[in-house]
This record gives sequence, C-alpha cells and structure tokens, in this order.
Amino acid sequence: MKHILAAVGVLILFVAPLLTNNSFYQHLMIMVLFWTLLGASWNLLGGFAGQVSFGHATFLGIGAYTTMLFYLSLNMSPWLGMIAGGVLGALVALPIGLICFRLRGPYFSLATLAVAEIVRLVALNWDQLTAGPVGLLITTLPPLSLGGHAVNWESKIPFYYIAAALMLFATVLTYAVSRSRFGAYLTAIREDIDSAEAVGIDTVRVRVSALVLSAFVVGLAGGFYSVYFRYIDPDAVFAISLSVEMVFIAVVGGLATTAGPVVGALVLVSIAEVFRERFAAGHLIFYGLFMMLVIRYLPEGIWGRLRFLLGLTR
Amino acid sequence: MTLLTVSGLRKDFGGLRAISDLSFELRKGEILGLIGPNGAGKTTAFNLITGFIPATAGTALLEGQSILGLKPSAIVKRGIARTFQVVKPFRNLSVLENVTLAAFLNEPRRVRAEEKARATLERVQLSRKIENNAGDLTLGEQKYLEIARALATDAKILFLDEPMGGLNPTEVENACALVQRIRQDGTTVILVEHHMQAIMKISDRVVVLHHGVKIADGTPHDVVRNRDVIAAYLGRQAA
Repeated sequence: MKHILAAVGVLILFVAPLLTNNSFYQHLMIMVLFWTLLGASWNLLGGFAGQVSFGHATFLGIGAYTTMLFYLSLNMSPWLGMIAGGVLGALVALPIGLICFRLRGPYFSLATLAVAEIVRLVALNWDQLTAGPVGLLITTLPPLSLGGHAVNWESKIPFYYIAAALMLFATVLTYAVSRSRFGAYLTAIREDIDSAEAVGIDTVRVRVSALVLSAFVVGLAGGFYSVYFRYIDPDAVFAISLSVEMVFIAVVGGLATTAGPVVGALVLVSIAEVFRERFAAGHLIFYGLFMMLVIRYLPEGIWGRLRFLLGLTR
Repeated sequence: MTLLTVSGLRKDFGGLRAISDLSFELRKGEILGLIGPNGAGKTTAFNLITGFIPATAGTALLEGQSILGLKPSAIVKRGIARTFQVVKPFRNLSVLENVTLAAFLNEPRRVRAEEKARATLERVQLSRKIENNAGDLTLGEQKYLEIARALATDAKILFLDEPMGGLNPTEVENACALVQRIRQDGTTVILVEHHMQAIMKISDRVVVLHHGVKIADGTPHDVVRNRDVIAAYLGRQAA
C-alpha cells in the first residue's frame, strides 16, 4: 500500500506540469515542491527529534546568498552554488547547534529565533557583502544544454523538475532517516532526553547532526529560491515568517512522517492562494483561523490522521 | 576486585552542601545498598556519579579511569547504566523499542538490536508486554522496563534508584529475585532503596548517608546495629 502510494506520487510528480500551459499554475506547483522541501527538512529536526526551531530561515538565507554571491562575483554555476549553499548552511548550523542545544525545549526554540533575527540584521546591514536592503539580482542564467537542447530558463518547466528532484531527495532522505538508528535516536530524544542520555545516546551530538542535516537541505532550497526568483534581499530570505511557515507545513502535514510535508505544503499553498483571491486584504485572518482549527482538531496533522485511518502506521 | 572507587565526592547547591566528602568502593560482583533518610543525598550521589549533574569536587574512578565530568551518555559507554527514581520510559514507544534503543549502543543493526532487546526483556520477564506502549505499563512493569533498558547497554554496573519504590509485597519479592539474578549473571549492582527488609536481604554491603555524610559502611548485619544509623533514622534518644 505504501509503495503503491509512493509510486503514484512519483508519477504525478513527473506529469503534473505538463497538464497545464498556465504558467501561474506551474508556479504554484513549484511553490508546493519548494515548501515541501522546507517542511521536510524542518521536520527532520522539529518532527522526529521534537526540537522546534523558529530560525530555519537563517539557513534558507545563507543558501540563497551563497548561490547568488558565488555566481555574481566568482561566476560559479548557480547549480554548483546551490550545493555550496547547502554546505555553507550546514557549516553555519554547526556552531548555532552547539550553542543553542545547551538549552532545552522552549528555551532552545527562543534561542533559534534570536539567532535568526541576529543573522537577518547582519545581512541587512553588511552592505559590502549583501548589498543590504537593495538586494541582489541575477539578470541571466548561464546557458545549459541537455541532450543537445538548450534549456529555456524563461519557462517554468525546468525549474519545476529541479524543484521536484530536490523535493524527492528530501523525501527519500526523511524516509531513510526514519528507518535508521539515527532516526530512532531522534525519536528517543523527542520522547525523553534524560532517558536518551541514560541509554548512551549523545544527545547533543545527535541533535547537532540533525540540525546540520536539516540546514543542508534548507540551504539547497535557498539556493533554488535565488535562482528561481533571480532576486533576493534580507527580508525576502531571512524573514521570521519563512521560519514560521516551515513549522506550519510540518505541523499541518503531520510531524515526524515522511509524506506529511508533501500534504502540508499542498494544502497550505493552495489554501493561501484561494484565500488571497477570495478575501484580498483579510486573507491572513482566514489563514490563521484555518491553522487554529487544524491544531485544535488535528494535532497529529492531516497526513498523521489519514495514515492512521488508512492503517499505514508501522 | 574494586570496580568503582568514589572519593571525596562533594556537591554544593548554592549554600547547601548536599553531599560532603563521600568516599566508597564498589567491588566487582557485589550488591551494594545505599540507604539513608529522605533528603540524605542518595539520588544526588547517583546523579553525580552517572554524570547527570556536575560534582563540586571529588573523583570517581571506574576500573582506574576517571569518569567524573563526562556526559551521561559517555559514562554509559564506559559501563555504568542507571534507572530513574521517577520512571522515565519512552512513553509513546513500544516496550520492545524502548529496550532496542538501549541495545543500539553496541549493536548498530536493527535486527540484531531487536533480538538482543527481546532476550533482555525475557530476563526481566516482560516478554508478554513487548508490543505494548511503555506508558501503558503498571509502575512495577515500568521499573522493570528501565532495568531492561539499563541491562541492554551491556553495563558492568547498574545503578538502580529505588527499584522497589511503590511496589506491592509480591512485586518487591520478585524485584529482589531479579536483582539477585542480575548479579549472578555477572553485573554489579548498587541500589538506593527505602524498603529496608529488601535491602537487608539482598545487599552484600550497605552504605548509609545522612545529611550528605556517610555515617556507616558495612554488612547489613553490622549497619542495623550501628548507633549513628539508628540515631539518624529514629533520633538520638532511641540510640
């Protein structure tokens, strides 16, 4: 059953963008994939290990700026730059983790929020590096040809498949983690951190590793963001609202599940669009209301409940 | 042979000296009881030696190697595992998964770790509850589960913090038998316990703490006749 669902999912993933010529719908599909990617990487730390980070925008921003700056100043291919963004995000996560994981529970969450604000303000004021609030712009992407055909970067389709590949990577990674000893250790930490230590789990090292892994994937996503939108500024990629949205995706979908972030992103991106269209200025009120209803009536998330109803839990 | 040597162990909580200059030895293969009135510092002593709280001063040597200052998980890897006075099972995980997590320490592969967990649960007679959520067990079963978890780390020494607290007489009887079986299988045990009858019956040696100071150290027979011990429990007059 699980395998069939996964196969159908991958099939849909491949044909979806070909079903429409409307570039707005294609853009929405890309956004669903982008948010799935972010939700899944946040879920690694927040869902499996129960370490709620409110600062994941930090790694998104670092990935975005790394990709952009390496391209603009060193002319490094943005596709390599994306990986560099992931690596740099992971590197920055290391000291952040070592500092913040001295704290537990809500104190950890607050520390991540504080660090994210500091990083955002640094990015905003470090003009020489980031151009501050003016932001960075790429006008053209380097040409790339696949099988003799030049890729058309004015079309959404190539971006869709890049996002799809990233999202598949994150989902497979999540699945692999959930089946591994490392994943079991994350669950133990979520359940009871003292007991985790008492059975020999180095809880600081495991949590830092989860953060680094998570930051790597978010950094990749940041790189993708910069290439797709071709413009970034600190408020676009370091904003607290991005960090919070990642939490929403994972919670609405279902914490500590592989498919949860896919469901969360699908539902939230569509709902945000519908509400924006319907309610114009007041749309965030309805979005907030929806969030409250989900948290009140579906605390285990939409997929968390569905997989239980379908009998898919292990 | 001495397995663990604790000397000059001290813990100050602000102005309060919870443990002062505690020294004792734990010999390989023995059952050592650590007793004392409420607030004597027994659990604090456990927390210090197992690394859960930092000591103010003192040393603890496991087979000649210093363990004080290490993280709890590092101390577990060296061979000291503990249970908690207020049980802390992984509540939403199955009994099997609880113990598998401990078995992972020396057995990275899941299939092998689960095998070992099953065998360990057999030892503490929890096999029939293997699929249950740990949070659904009775208190007695949860205490056994914690013992199984500690055993599955292949510890040389088990630190049991009140394994019989809150158990009924039959359960206490079974717990005594379990501790004795664990020792027979080659694991050294130190336990904090308020259940006097039980501790006198199974301990080879007893250390008595009072207000953070060791006031007696000897066989159960000697300790119950020690004037300081009687005074600590019952007051000066009775002594």
